Order: sequence, then structure tokens, then C-alpha cells
Amino acid sequence: MLDSLPYELPELVTRAPLDTHRSTVLPEWVDWNGHMNVAFYVTAFDQASGAFMRNMGLGRRYVDGKLGMTFVLETHVTYDREMREGAPMRFTTQLLARDAKRVHLFHEMFHGGQGYLAATNETIVMNIDYATRRAAPWPAPVAVRLEELWQTHKDLPRPAKAGRVMGLSKK
Amino acid sequence: MKLPPYPLIDLDLAAPFDQHRTTVLPEWIDWNGHMNVGFYVVAFDKATDTLCNQFGCSWEYTREKVGMTFVLEAHVTYDREVKEGDPLRITSQILDHDAKRLHFIHCMYHGTEGYLAATNELMLMNIDYETRRSAPWPAWAMERLDKMAAAHKKLPVPQQAGRLIGIKRKK
Repeated sequence: MLDSLPYELPELVTRAPLDTHRSTVLPEWVDWNGHMNVAFYVTAFDQASGAFMRNMGLGRRYVDGKLGMTFVLETHVTYDREMREGAPMRFTTQLLARDAKRVHLFHEMFHGGQGYLAATNETIVMNIDYATRRAAPWPAPVAVRLEELWQTHKDLPRPAKAGRVMGLSKK
Repeated sequence: MKLPPYPLIDLDLAAPFDQHRTTVLPEWIDWNGHMNVGFYVVAFDKATDTLCNQFGCSWEYTREKVGMTFVLEAHVTYDREVKEGDPLRITSQILDHDAKRLHFIHCMYHGTEGYLAATNELMLMNIDYETRRSAPWPAWAMERLDKMAAAHKKLPVPQQAGRLIGIKRKK
């Protein structure tokens, strides 16, 4: 485990849920159906996970400094409503669980102007050692920040769309 | 509609369906030096097009303004890294279907080394072109979906299907 990180960490945001990430639907994210393609919802959510990691102190410098990386193990998306080119997006992020190496996150994507829920993303992200490319415990200062965030997120209600198993419910 | 306004291709009843091939493009690589999580879904979405072409609900379906297919929900497991230029083989297995929806799973393999790189479980819905709302599969599509589903029924359900996301605690 890394005992420290060789750069200054940003001020920790502990709002519950986190509500800082914003983005816009890019022209190249739109497909032949005239809306944001399924894959780019995942890209947009991955950037929200990136914002979560930057808040933890694991931004670009973590990778560029060859200290470590974070890999997504698994992701579940619900597509709730279409988004068109240029639509502003607002993301909220809830920490559902954490352990020594992993976080379990739940993102919601809203249309930034109209406010409707466009999609949700439940995801597991793991810390990776740069040299071995294998799982490794969070750096010590990150573990401290995760605990601090957990204290504000642990009592949030569990989102209704978290923990879904896919299937056709027969009527 | 009894028949689509374009020719249907020969139906392939191999179980699983095993036609889609692609290669990891340079622009699919992220700062971690491997295919980015979003582009796994780009690759899988193109495999969905190949699958839908089997029952006449792919490119021409939308180009001829007959209908569209929308993804309602997606679950991805990232099992192993793939790098730039890697050949990919994607198989598709139908798990269930009803009058409007299709539940299936793609498995992505490294094309030459053979290892499982990722899986993508999907719920797809048929959409009326005009109203952009759900609609029953056209008759020609339903007939073919029934045949494919019957051919795939004998396959074991992959362990990645029906997953619930969570951090599993070791006892």
C-alpha cells in the first residue's frame, strides 16, 4: 500500500450525494437513432467516476506518476430517457459500499435543463497497482478520504434502481 | 407488416450466434493503455446490430423508417484487458423474449488467444419509428426470434447473466 501521494490533494467534497460533475452530449456521441448512443452513456458515467476519483485524490497525476490506476470491474446501466446532441447533463454520485481495494458507486444522470432522470449507473471500481496491473489496496490518504465520505453517504437511502437483476417480468 | 421493404438475410441458427468480429481501434484506448470501458460497449453495440440483422431489425429497419430498437438496460462485466489492434470475437445468446423485448447476452473473446474479455447482458425493446414508443416486434422478426430462441434454449446460461452488483465480503 502507498503510504502517501507525492502531490497535493484537492479539498475533499463530502456532500451526500456528490453533485459536482457536469457534462454535455457531444455530436460524436449521437447515433443513427438521433440520440446519445448506449455506449456513450457509459463513457459519460465513466467521466463521473473519474470526477469521484479526483475527489479522492486519484486524478491524472496518479496514473501519469505511474503510481496506480483504477479499473472498472462491472457496470449496470438503466436507460430511462433519451438525450439529444448538446443536452446538458448533471450527475449525482452515491457511495454504496467500499472496502480496502474497491468502491461500489451509484450515479444518476439528469437532463441539466429539464431535470428529468436520463439514466443510472451502478459500478464497481478497483484500485490497481501500476507495475503489476493487479488489484492493490487504496493509498493510505485515499482510504482516509473514503472513510470520511462514507460517513456522510452511509445513511442515504438506497436508490431504487440499485441492485437490479435483469429479466422479463411476465405479466 | 408481413414482410420488410428490404430482403432478409439467411437465418443462422448456430447456438450461440457467432458471426461478429472486430478489432480494437487506436481511438478506443485510454490513458491506462487498454480499451476504455465505454468502447467495450461500442463494440458490443455493433454486435447487437449484427444480431438484429438476423431478424431484419438492424440498419435498414431504421434507414427505411420502419422502426428502431432501444436498449433499456445493460450490464457489463470487464473480465480481462484488451489492447490496441487485438482481434475480438463476440458471440450472442438469446436468454428470453416477449412481444416487444429481447433479453440476451454477448460474450467478447480475444480473437486468437481465446480468453473471455467481457460480457454484456442487454434488454432491448422494439420501437415504433413515428411515435418513438415501444411496439410489438414485426411478424417477420418475431418468427425469426422464436426460431433463434428455440435454438439457443439448450445452451447453459452464462454465469455472468442475471448478476447483482455488489462488493462481496469474504468470510
